[in-house]
Amino acid sequence: MNAHTAIPASFSDGWSVGGVPMASRFLLGTAGYPSPDELAKSIAAAAPAAVTVGLRRSLAAGADNGFIGRVHQAAHAAGAHLLPNTAGCRTAREAIALAQMARELYGTRWIKLEVVGDEHTLQPDPVELVAAAAVLARDGFVVWPYCTDDLVTCRRLLDAGCPVLMPWGAPIGSGQGLLNPFALRTLRERLPDATLIVDAGIGAPSHAAQAMEMGFDAVLLNSAVAHARAPAAMARAFRLAVEAGRMAWGAGVIARQDFATASTPVGGEAFLIGAA
Amino acid sequence: MPDAPIPIRLGGQPADVPAGSTLADLVAAAGHAADAVATGLNGDFVRRDLRAATRLAAGDQVLIFQPIVGG
Repeated sequence: MNAHTAIPASFSDGWSVGGVPMASRFLLGTAGYPSPDELAKSIAAAAPAAVTVGLRRSLAAGADNGFIGRVHQAAHAAGAHLLPNTAGCRTAREAIALAQMARELYGTRWIKLEVVGDEHTLQPDPVELVAAAAVLARDGFVVWPYCTDDLVTCRRLLDAGCPVLMPWGAPIGSGQGLLNPFALRTLRERLPDATLIVDAGIGAPSHAAQAMEMGFDAVLLNSAVAHARAPAAMARAFRLAVEAGRMAWGAGVIARQDFATASTPVGGEAFLIGAA
Repeated sequence: MPDAPIPIRLGGQPADVPAGSTLADLVAAAGHAADAVATGLNGDFVRRDLRAATRLAAGDQVLIFQPIVGG
């Protein structure tokens, strides 16, 4: 039996994280947009379940050109949750402290846990990530860990109390799509009950559709929309791709094969000319 | 004669604060509304309601964080 036969016949199937229902299967980052207006339009076009936000070290009070204020407005209007991140952290201790700050500033227990272990690839540090996740989960956080597609690390994160996993498709901002479909398929097959979100590396709507067709529960992306020539239009394109991919998963994508199978039932040969 | 200023590091930069300053004093002196930022002291989070009781000492490393956009 294929795994997707377990999906309900209705394609408006819901999902939730930590008991909180999610309105869509698209999560959108808020960094790097050309203007606050374009950011707000993109959030409206994406209709995301959540938008990610961050924290920045500051020496003195200063404006951010209105970006974060527009995020709050647009997210509220779209019914999207805020998902603060721990971007920039290199150790579990840093990430734990930043998560605590995010909880106070944003008033949410949700945290997108990022602990980077390599500066070039921004690859997560699995040891620090699992350590931080365990502490934060015990402290009442709903931990969304940004992780690699390593199966065993993902299992450790689930054991630590994460209700969701966010494996990368490719390095952050690279736009390379799903670099290791085998690993992602393996995650889906070996962790059938886990909530899995492909996060990072998605560059085109087709990449998002591919992730959804593989049975992932959602996708999270930022740069592919923020850096597009027309961000709001691209946000809508991704929204449609995510919906299409999910619907395809529910409908059952046919198996690949190496040989042709005629689709038109002509009953052998189309013409009998020359037949005996 | 007033006590000498206390040398600390704010956001990784050297800074002096008046003797007897608290973390709440520093946040206000930096121009932040109390509820607009989060604070850390020597690598640990300090809750908003504990800042006024957190007296700064020489060598303390203070971090102040503001909300921003993020991915």
